[in-house]
Amino acid sequence: MNDHLRDEEHFSSKKIDWQVWKKIFSFMKPLKKFIILGLLTVALLAVADVVYPYIVKFAIDDIIKPNIPIVEAGGQADFSKLNVLIYLFIGFMLLQAFSVYLFILFAGKIQTELAFNIRKRAFHHLQQLPFSYYDRTRVGWIMARMTSDTRNLSEILSWGFIDLAWGVFLIVILTGFMFVINFKLALTVLAVVPILVLISVFFRKYILKAYRSIRKVNSKITGAYNEGITGAVTTKTLVLEKENFDEFDGLTIDMRRQSVKAHMLQGLYFPSMLFIISIGVSLVYLVGGRMVLDPIIALQIGTLYLFTNYVWQFFEPVNNVANIYARFQQAQASAERIVSLIETEMEIKDTDEVVEKYGTLFDYKLENFETIKGDVEFKHVDFKYKVGEKVLTDFNIDVKAGQTIALVGHTGAGKTTIINLISRFYEPTSGQIFIDGKDYKDRSMGWLHSNLGYVLQTPHLFSGSVMENIRYGKLDATDEEVINAAKAVEAHEFIMKFEKGYQTECGEGGSRLSVGQKQLVSFARAILSDPKILILDEATSSVDTETEQAIQIAINKLLEGRTSFIVAHRLSTIVQSDRILVLENGQIIEEGSHQSLIDAKGYYYKLYTNQYSEDMFSHQQK
Amino acid sequence: MVKAKKKPKRQIGKHLRLMAKWTGKYGFLLIPIFIILFTESYLRTIVPLFGQHIIDVILEGDKPSKLPEILANLLIADSVWQQLLLAAGLIIATALVRSIFIFIRRLINGIYAERTAYKLRNKLYRRLQDADYGFHSHSETGDLIQRCTTDVDMYKRFISEQVVQVGRLIFLVGLSIWQMSRLNLNMTFISLIIAPVLFIIAVFYFRKVEKMFHVIEDNEAKMTTHVQENVSGARVVKAFANEAYEVKKFDGLSRTYTDSDYQLVKKMSVFWSVTDLLSFIQFFMIAIFGIIYASKGIITLGMYTAFLAYAGNIIWPMRQLGRLVGDFSKAIVSVSRLDKIISNPGEYNDDEKNEKPEIKGQVKFEHVSFKFDDGQSDQIIDIDFNINKGETVAIIGKTGSGKSTLINLLVRLLDYQKGRILIDGVEVKDIEKHHLRKNIGFILQEPFLFSRSVEENIKIADKTIPEDRIKTVAKIAQVHDDIVNFEEGYNTLVGERGVTLSGGQKQRVAIARMLVQPKPILVFDDSLSAVDTVTDIQIRRALKKEWKDSTVLIITHRITTASEADKILVIDDGRIVESGTHKELINREGSYKRIWEIQSKIDFRLK
Repeated sequence: MNDHLRDEEHFSSKKIDWQVWKKIFSFMKPLKKFIILGLLTVALLAVADVVYPYIVKFAIDDIIKPNIPIVEAGGQADFSKLNVLIYLFIGFMLLQAFSVYLFILFAGKIQTELAFNIRKRAFHHLQQLPFSYYDRTRVGWIMARMTSDTRNLSEILSWGFIDLAWGVFLIVILTGFMFVINFKLALTVLAVVPILVLISVFFRKYILKAYRSIRKVNSKITGAYNEGITGAVTTKTLVLEKENFDEFDGLTIDMRRQSVKAHMLQGLYFPSMLFIISIGVSLVYLVGGRMVLDPIIALQIGTLYLFTNYVWQFFEPVNNVANIYARFQQAQASAERIVSLIETEMEIKDTDEVVEKYGTLFDYKLENFETIKGDVEFKHVDFKYKVGEKVLTDFNIDVKAGQTIALVGHTGAGKTTIINLISRFYEPTSGQIFIDGKDYKDRSMGWLHSNLGYVLQTPHLFSGSVMENIRYGKLDATDEEVINAAKAVEAHEFIMKFEKGYQTECGEGGSRLSVGQKQLVSFARAILSDPKILILDEATSSVDTETEQAIQIAINKLLEGRTSFIVAHRLSTIVQSDRILVLENGQIIEEGSHQSLIDAKGYYYKLYTNQYSEDMFSHQQK
Repeated sequence: MVKAKKKPKRQIGKHLRLMAKWTGKYGFLLIPIFIILFTESYLRTIVPLFGQHIIDVILEGDKPSKLPEILANLLIADSVWQQLLLAAGLIIATALVRSIFIFIRRLINGIYAERTAYKLRNKLYRRLQDADYGFHSHSETGDLIQRCTTDVDMYKRFISEQVVQVGRLIFLVGLSIWQMSRLNLNMTFISLIIAPVLFIIAVFYFRKVEKMFHVIEDNEAKMTTHVQENVSGARVVKAFANEAYEVKKFDGLSRTYTDSDYQLVKKMSVFWSVTDLLSFIQFFMIAIFGIIYASKGIITLGMYTAFLAYAGNIIWPMRQLGRLVGDFSKAIVSVSRLDKIISNPGEYNDDEKNEKPEIKGQVKFEHVSFKFDDGQSDQIIDIDFNINKGETVAIIGKTGSGKSTLINLLVRLLDYQKGRILIDGVEVKDIEKHHLRKNIGFILQEPFLFSRSVEENIKIADKTIPEDRIKTVAKIAQVHDDIVNFEEGYNTLVGERGVTLSGGQKQRVAIARMLVQPKPILVFDDSLSAVDTVTDIQIRRALKKEWKDSTVLIITHRITTASEADKILVIDDGRIVESGTHKELINREGSYKRIWEIQSKIDFRLK
């Protein structure tokens, strides 16, 4: 559990880890086409960016300049070359607009599809992970992998990557083109570029760092608001307003300081770039101006104009490249976290032979599924969780089909472990569990789970209508079957009292229903799936007396004709079961029917009499 | 959301005033910011003139310089080479001044933005803490948090970045137009043809995109909800063997989200390419007309290059201005959402002047009635009873019968409209709230633990208590054994970032927390519901021993608990329908007897 709790700190290695990126890049393989096309269009775009100022240079040197002396001498200006220029311009504009259009489309396609692929793979993998994974991983951790990390990665690998390509193309093409036109001026421009790169890399790195610490404080502030709001009444009753506020003030002060620092870095970055570029421009004017004046070189004015422009052209690509380099480093944490999710080992899975015969979790070979009777047998089962002591030692039980078994004992006695093992949420560390006489590992999890019903202590419903929630027990059930299931567990009545009846929305996690109602709906869901083996973890939380009675009746209905294991809290449930297993430290210390255990006057008897408060008991006796 | 969006349009003035009010004295920082902005923009419009000067005056010779005279005079020198050197030096000097200005402006801006946001965040937090019980029971946590984070950011960005951005763009465009008009009027007009079109397109586009964002957010929310429920319900998914169904459903939702996201990309690609095309058409026109004008000697070559530069100053900002117009309405919505919290006066208003009498523990309800502000009928009707100091009273009744409301009235989380509640003869409305609550130990059914260690939670109301006292209270609350079984014992973190405690453990920690300071009155709002019967009894016995003089009010579903009280009140539909001792009540036909009979049959928990 602990390594997941420290997760955010855990993944923050500095060096680029190519192994991780390789795995992430594998998600991009199906998008190869778009990547190549995307690269092509940004290459075109880079060419357009270089060509545009050149058209102006052409206008200056080949049209305006030759015309000036003619016009000054009173002649007619010669615009014969204007046509060429117009064609050039139109061609350039179309090229530019078209490249922008395609580049956005391709980058967008890569981003959205890449995110889709990553999520799909991650979710698919999640469904196959054993229950132990969910026991030790927080929901928030998984959610962050599926949302922000995926978004982060897909953005950097699409827009970021393509921006980077554009930046590199532009720098290369620009440099090459400058050298072709004028070697000396090209060198002059390039004198300042390394400084630009250095400044960019430096600032980008620190700016990102600053933002990262801002985000950290920010999430603390959000947490504090959350506590302040959800704990508002508690705060009032304990009169903690002042303490809470002082603590909060500490956080917001920190936030303010960090933010101002980030503003300062940001505020320094752009002006420094501007200053360096201006030095570059001055240098070009100096060197170029001299060449213009030199009668032998006689540099054209247009070329001078072109190079002053090109100095500015370096700003964006250099900025981009530095930015993306820094973001890549950051995105690595996201990449590592996603890889760690999709590579989480499946501790429990069907063997290849089993998959061969029964199919995968997502594709059952129903024709090979044997009908289940419902015998369950534990033979010499030992069990221990990954951390901690042994929970079960040489545990043996033999349950015939149709029997009801009540598990009784203190917290930590091993009740939950037993039902986890039967459900194959965990597997025995050693020993075997047989269902209908065959080791359950020799059949698929799909087979077991499609014959198993599970009713939780705290019922979990999904958002969606009551109808959909009950139908979850049997996805192809008709409306009538659903309603019959509800009737069977006495849920029909309260459902019909809702304005929208079965179409009533349950809300996220079933939040719009009361605890008792949720319980009844979960019973209906279980009865609809008609399992041969039923596991029932009785609720301890109190509901009002009338609801309690309804639940009691429903439970009796539910148990009919099934092999059932109940973690029991209610006396009536216990009394009615065929066998009671009294557990202590992973051992069965007493076993038998209610009456026989009472008669034995052992541990169960003690539990029973202790719990039943003296005065109540005496009242009843009278 | 929809409602909130329509309303503010009529109140733009009000919300602008609010925006200004919240900046407080820091708002005045906008004055130096705008002064620097203006200077900075002016310096930027001079840059193309350096090019003009160098080309026209120094290189081509004999043409007039368009630089301001002071600067042009600085560039007078004997040789052309010296002139070039001076010009290059002046370019660098101007850039330096500009850079310093920009830095100072951004720094002031940062201070202004962050100070304002800091003040606002604190104010919001205070308001939320002070807001009354009614406010909290009517609002959703997620929504409030969003207001305090996203909306604050939106507001901050608006009053700093966006307002400044608008100023910057207007200065830049305005000064560029003015500079151009100094060069040539006709060319100026030609340079301005496309700009308004770009602006209008951008306004429409960003409005439209805003709507698409909502669709995308919705789709994403649906998808994440599915993942969330799937993960937290992993047991159910697996137990019903519905993995394939879950994957299919997820793929469907993920696909819908992906596609809607791509729809936005498509819109983006059209917008950016079309506006790019329009911008280049503008450049194209300037270039072509410029060629003709320059060839004919109407403008100089240097001016020609200057026009091309100014065109850039005008065209690119237009798209941004369009976006800023869209952002304005978003900021207004944020402000109205924030105002809902800030304008809430809170419950401690005017409370300071109330009394702080010594509280001993006699509680008397005199014909108390209460209804919620939005309620039509009374929730609590004519409640009348008296508890002497040291007595225990149990309140029993169905969910929704008004039990919790009753005790919320006692600690003034809610205020009654009719009748009186007296503590030791003083009406609770005359007692200062903090004082009242400090004297009443109130434990909620679903108590809230702060996300820090167990120990810190227990001593939250009094940080000075010694360690052995912490253990003692934990033992009284029967939670000590649970705590030492945690991996890190009393240092175990609870809440969001730590271990999840069971409902019963939370209730017991809350009891321990309350025990740290002695209280003359104790109130249990069904706060032992998740604890088993034995522990329930043990806790109550230990409490009785520790604080035999305290008055106890206890809400419960358990007859066993109720039966031990000195007095039992049965509440139904806001009225006391029965009252008396356990013995009296079970010998009387009524709901208490009925519940007692059902419970003795079934409600027996074994753990």
